[in-house]
Amino acid sequence: MSRFFSWLTMLMLLCMVSFAQSKQITGKVTDAKDGSPLPGVTVKTKGAAGGTITAADGAFKLSVPGNVNTLVFTFVGYADQEVSIAGKSSITVALSAGNKDISEIVVVGYGTQLKREVTGSIAKINAKEIEDVPVPSFESAIQGKAAGVVIESGSGRLGQGLKVRVRGTSSISASNQPLYIVDGMPVESSLQTDDDNEITNPLTDINPNDIESVEVLKDAAATAIYGARASNGVVLVTTKKGKLNQRTVFNLDVNTGWATPTMKRGFLNAKQYVELIEEAAVNDGKTDFRNHDTGYGSEPEAIAAYKKSYESDILDNYSLGTDWRNGAVNTNWENEVYRHPARSNQINLSATGGSEKTRFFVSGFYSSQEAIVINNKFTRYGARLSLDHAATDKLNVGINLSVNRSQLDRISQDNEFSSPSQLVAQIPISPIIDPNTGKLNSKTLYDNGLFDAQYDSDKQISFRTLGNVYATYNFLPWLNFRSELGADILNMNEDYFKSKLSLDGAGIGKGQSINAQSVSLNTNNFFTITPSLGSRHKLSMVLGTSYLQNENRNNITQGESYPSDAVKNLSGATAITTGIGKNFRYTFLSYFFRANYAYNEKYLASFSIRTDGSSRFGPNNRYGVFPAGSLGWVISQEDFLKESKAISLLKLRASAGLTGNAEIGEGRFLSLYKITNYPDLPGFQPSQLANPDLRWEKTFQADVGLEFGFLENRISGEVDVYKKNTSDLLLDVNIPLTTGYGIITQNLGKMENKGIEFSLNTRNLEGEFKWTTSFNIGFNKNKITNLQGQVIKSGSQRAVEGQSIGTFYMPRFIGADKETGDALYMDSTGKPTNNINRAPEVVVGSSNPDFTGGFTNNFSYKGFDLSVFFTFVHGNKIFNSAGTFQTAGFGNGYDNQTLDILNRWQKPGDITDVPRVSITYPTGYQTSSRYIYNGSYIRLKNVTLSYNLPKRIIEKLKIQGIKVYAAGYNLWTKTDYISDPEVSTTPLAGSSNTTRNISSGVDRYTIPQAKTYVVGLNVRF
Amino acid sequence: MKLRKYILHASLAACTLALASGCNKKLDVLPSQEVTPGQITTSEDVKAVLAGCYASLQHANAFGERYLVVADLLGRDNAINFVGTFAAYRAISVKQQDRNSSIAEDMWARAYITIAGANTVLDKIGVVNKDEQKVVTAEARFIRGITYFELVNFYAQPWSAGNTTANDAVPIVLEPISSYDPTRDKRPRAKVSEVYKLVIDDLTAALNDLPESNENARATKYAAEAFLARVYMNQGRYAEAAAAANDVIAKGGFVLVTSVDKAFNNNTNSTEDIFAIQQNKQSNAGTTDNGVATFYSAKPVGRGDLQIMADWLNNYEDGDDRKAFVYEGTSISGIDGTYTGKWKQQYKVVPVVRLSEMVLTRAEANFRSGGAPVGGVTPLADVNAVRARAHAGDLSVVTADDIISERFRELAFEGDRLWTIKRLKLKLGSRDYNDPILVLPVPQTERDVNPNMTQNTGY
Repeated sequence: MSRFFSWLTMLMLLCMVSFAQSKQITGKVTDAKDGSPLPGVTVKTKGAAGGTITAADGAFKLSVPGNVNTLVFTFVGYADQEVSIAGKSSITVALSAGNKDISEIVVVGYGTQLKREVTGSIAKINAKEIEDVPVPSFESAIQGKAAGVVIESGSGRLGQGLKVRVRGTSSISASNQPLYIVDGMPVESSLQTDDDNEITNPLTDINPNDIESVEVLKDAAATAIYGARASNGVVLVTTKKGKLNQRTVFNLDVNTGWATPTMKRGFLNAKQYVELIEEAAVNDGKTDFRNHDTGYGSEPEAIAAYKKSYESDILDNYSLGTDWRNGAVNTNWENEVYRHPARSNQINLSATGGSEKTRFFVSGFYSSQEAIVINNKFTRYGARLSLDHAATDKLNVGINLSVNRSQLDRISQDNEFSSPSQLVAQIPISPIIDPNTGKLNSKTLYDNGLFDAQYDSDKQISFRTLGNVYATYNFLPWLNFRSELGADILNMNEDYFKSKLSLDGAGIGKGQSINAQSVSLNTNNFFTITPSLGSRHKLSMVLGTSYLQNENRNNITQGESYPSDAVKNLSGATAITTGIGKNFRYTFLSYFFRANYAYNEKYLASFSIRTDGSSRFGPNNRYGVFPAGSLGWVISQEDFLKESKAISLLKLRASAGLTGNAEIGEGRFLSLYKITNYPDLPGFQPSQLANPDLRWEKTFQADVGLEFGFLENRISGEVDVYKKNTSDLLLDVNIPLTTGYGIITQNLGKMENKGIEFSLNTRNLEGEFKWTTSFNIGFNKNKITNLQGQVIKSGSQRAVEGQSIGTFYMPRFIGADKETGDALYMDSTGKPTNNINRAPEVVVGSSNPDFTGGFTNNFSYKGFDLSVFFTFVHGNKIFNSAGTFQTAGFGNGYDNQTLDILNRWQKPGDITDVPRVSITYPTGYQTSSRYIYNGSYIRLKNVTLSYNLPKRIIEKLKIQGIKVYAAGYNLWTKTDYISDPEVSTTPLAGSSNTTRNISSGVDRYTIPQAKTYVVGLNVRF
Repeated sequence: MKLRKYILHASLAACTLALASGCNKKLDVLPSQEVTPGQITTSEDVKAVLAGCYASLQHANAFGERYLVVADLLGRDNAINFVGTFAAYRAISVKQQDRNSSIAEDMWARAYITIAGANTVLDKIGVVNKDEQKVVTAEARFIRGITYFELVNFYAQPWSAGNTTANDAVPIVLEPISSYDPTRDKRPRAKVSEVYKLVIDDLTAALNDLPESNENARATKYAAEAFLARVYMNQGRYAEAAAAANDVIAKGGFVLVTSVDKAFNNNTNSTEDIFAIQQNKQSNAGTTDNGVATFYSAKPVGRGDLQIMADWLNNYEDGDDRKAFVYEGTSISGIDGTYTGKWKQQYKVVPVVRLSEMVLTRAEANFRSGGAPVGGVTPLADVNAVRARAHAGDLSVVTADDIISERFRELAFEGDRLWTIKRLKLKLGSRDYNDPILVLPVPQTERDVNPNMTQNTGY
């Protein structure tokens, strides 16, 4: 490292060389259309720092270094213009409105770049696509908008964790979530409170309406500058900032929404249910008689006995004395799961503006959103400030700061009886209110979750302060230093109370209070070096260091034995049962360098290298080095194409590089003993086996991309082909349990992801009636190429060599026996068998889609805008794990059944794939491919219609604009799946990364997505 | 002006450098809720590892639940009805558990965690204060011995099935593992006879060095001897079993509690508990999804998954307190039924060996070995002593079957029935004592990583 520092010091000394001569330039900027002055235009010196903004009369005055010959003029809605100032002291510039495609800026790690000079693969999503969408977190809003970025929200619950995969899954036991950077600062995206409930999403603390743009860095050229944490892609979030010399604009946005489930499964009514139980009795009586099991004298005798037994055990028992024979009670339990409808309200108010030296953005917001499922609700409010001030012509200081409070009212996990989602298992002859007591029915098939819904509460409240302060200093026109210090302070509390009246309260009342805190400090210090090398060469370099430190505290207190429901906090718990205090800490120390070079705007080259040290690895392998390089060729800049009208842009780029993954939690390289608490005998117990050689998981990624624009960019797009090879997988390797340890974390195995991404944007119609289209599609194929023979399981899913991660292994179901109604499976010789134990577990599909994408059409006419957005997912399979209860024909209990049971086998000769119903001789209820479904879908994700009031009215009102809008989400879906196809039971927060990574596409009483209607008003003044 | 600039530049550079070099040390971070082997250095630390072994015995995958509940479900016959929804338990209840049984895997894993702890204690015994080494060693060997005994019971054919030098039991591990060695650590299963030998060695060593009484309900001489009596009974070594049981009865100072209900749901050991697992509100085997009371007690205390069948209660005479030691309740699935009073409350002591078992063991062992009874008490007197406490009438003569019936009645729902059936080669319903389904599978995951591991018949 010491050589590195001496180099740094040299650089510092270099900064102190005296300045070159400078000269004064004055001028005026006008609108090419009508010659009117344009205020607020950014004037920058090309190839050097420094610049200004035009005044109200379009005039500007700028001191430029003597070696600068060109000024660049940029203004929102106008094409950039470069003007030579060689030998001039005064100029006039006319800007014309035009497309901005060519001068688009993208945010990259530690800087920004012109889109046309980028040699990496980056997807950019603008504010417009994120604002006003009725979702708690911004990632949901970018679903389907960026090729190769797969986002699964998985459930209609609110505040749940999202699964985000950039170019596939690259790890088995480390995290696969991308790295999130907000305004240059890595943010905590995984802090959890209750380990026994599903994963929540700390990114909900970022108000989507404060976001200016989201850039998803996909290939190694783009991500490697984030080195050790970049294998899963990097999501850069840039928040809104003010603009210099702009009068203050207020923006008020108010909207309100209504949501219902996209679809309900549909369950048997009381009459159908009773018929089915009776049929089971007939089937079982016949089987018993045929097998001579009980020794009944005749078949009718056997059937009568079974009827008597089932009627008394089930129908009499659960109908609480009501007349089930005549349908006295017909409860639709599924209706009890949902709100009718769920309401949401949102208000956002912001102000932005700037003077000559200072610009600002402030905002405040409040939103409250009910989930479609009862008791689940998300409420938040907060504020943001962004301030930037030019202290001198060399020194800029600024701050980005947001404070936020959010409250998530939670329900228990999908797999708990107390979750409202499991109410559907209750049977329709069970009344909701017990007619004998007049109170909630406490004698239901499964414990009545309505008790929990009515008496229990579970609130997770988080307070988050996210922000950074920075200073940039222009030592020289070509040398800029930026220092930023950021903090991400997240305090989460979760209190639950389980009444003694509810199942989870166990008759005594239980409570829990969790206080989780994560404090990240991050400082980045870097030089941006842009030497002027003449008009043909453009070189830009970044050199710096980064340090990240995170402290994590978690205190959990549980208690029980409440005197009554009156006191719900832990003061009411007269016995404290658990007290846990945990803290973790991790640190990353990094050095990075990047050089971008462009020759004649034609040939592009980029190189970056980062070295990271982390506390997560032992002294043997603490540091990792992550280089990446890329080349680009802007073919359209070649002489033979430069004048072409048809081809506006043609750029070929290629990149290769190495990134890492270290997201395995703390202390995994150590041998550990955990604390045990046998009464009066505090102790230690062996819990983890050391691996001092543990090191980074490495992903080598190669990418070739082509960017194109035809007919003045009316047709533009990108194609990327990539291959990601992950090696040294950080793997929780199973070792013999006889060692006393089940696993050891090793660097073992290889995995590959390869794919193609394609995006296309067209401006189909221009003029008064505008029509634009965007289309993107991403194909990804994941394959585990080497696990040294390991088989890693999570439920019915596995990680196995030669297959994609999360492949379903199950006995193959082939239908119902025509003669007996038995479920038939394929045995190891390929023949049908009704004995599931003879049917080997085989590959029956994968939860990974073959391709995903989105398709948007925007129409505008006069003040009207219409946007129609479809998303699609193809080739994935869904395992309806709840099907083993709700379609199993009573093999796993008396649960109410979904309507597909109506197609069951009833008599010899029936040809169907739904086996007979039976309670005593059940068949087909075990996990098998019977419960695997095609998960492909296409969905009308969003339709938004908005109307901007015409200018003459606006002017009369003396405001800047009024927009009214109406939007619908998840309005229409085409799928083969029996419920909402965007479904995946979120893993428990306490589950291992391995479980989370392997398990997906499992529907276990999962709440479907919401169909939402929103109307809103936007006023700018 | 110029100078100010220089100072500014120089200090910025200095800051950057200072920050970068200072950070290197910040990469050394130790966990704060666990300890590393380097932190186990004192006598107290090693004794804490021993305490960790007791916690392991309390675990739901050991005496806290499954050593009892799984044995009862396997041997449930006409005594217990499983009305719960957990598929893994239901499979065992209907004898359809397969090689992927999570219960078989979890019990196996927990046993070897316990053994790893005990082996660590034995390995670091030199660190323990000289005057305590003997007892600490004895406790560790007691814990290891009884754990191997449970393993050989659950995962191998019983001793009574013969072929003890050929039948596979479980791998024997006698030293702690500090780093993974794929060659050494893929151990084959030892034979039934080898595991029994280890169990007897450990328990005999423990018996010799353990104190007669111990704090915090830890292992005593008599706990080791009581387990030895169980081992000898399994092997049909009745004279030795009678001697061991008699020693416990005669010298241990244990006394049958005055009424049956006082033997259970206690906060501390009763006078008849020879060895028992301690629990309290802070330390227990689980209250919602795990723990013996969670399964055996009715809603809302537990899940109420294990109900007592009416047939079973017919085995008791009217007036027998044990017949009345039940209550009516409902399972969380809304199914009404009868529940045993033994596991009615959470957070209570789980008796592992009670005096009444030793009395019945002595009775049976004396009866089977014949001649003058060890301890000078006739089998009839022993059986009547147990019956008298339950206010069941005295018998005038006993047969071997009477003693076994009494054992079933007295020790019902304590995980004893299955082992008694196996050692005496009795029928379990229509099944033979050595039906392969009555032996748990070797976990498939274990075979996946260890090619030297054989599977039990039928899986």
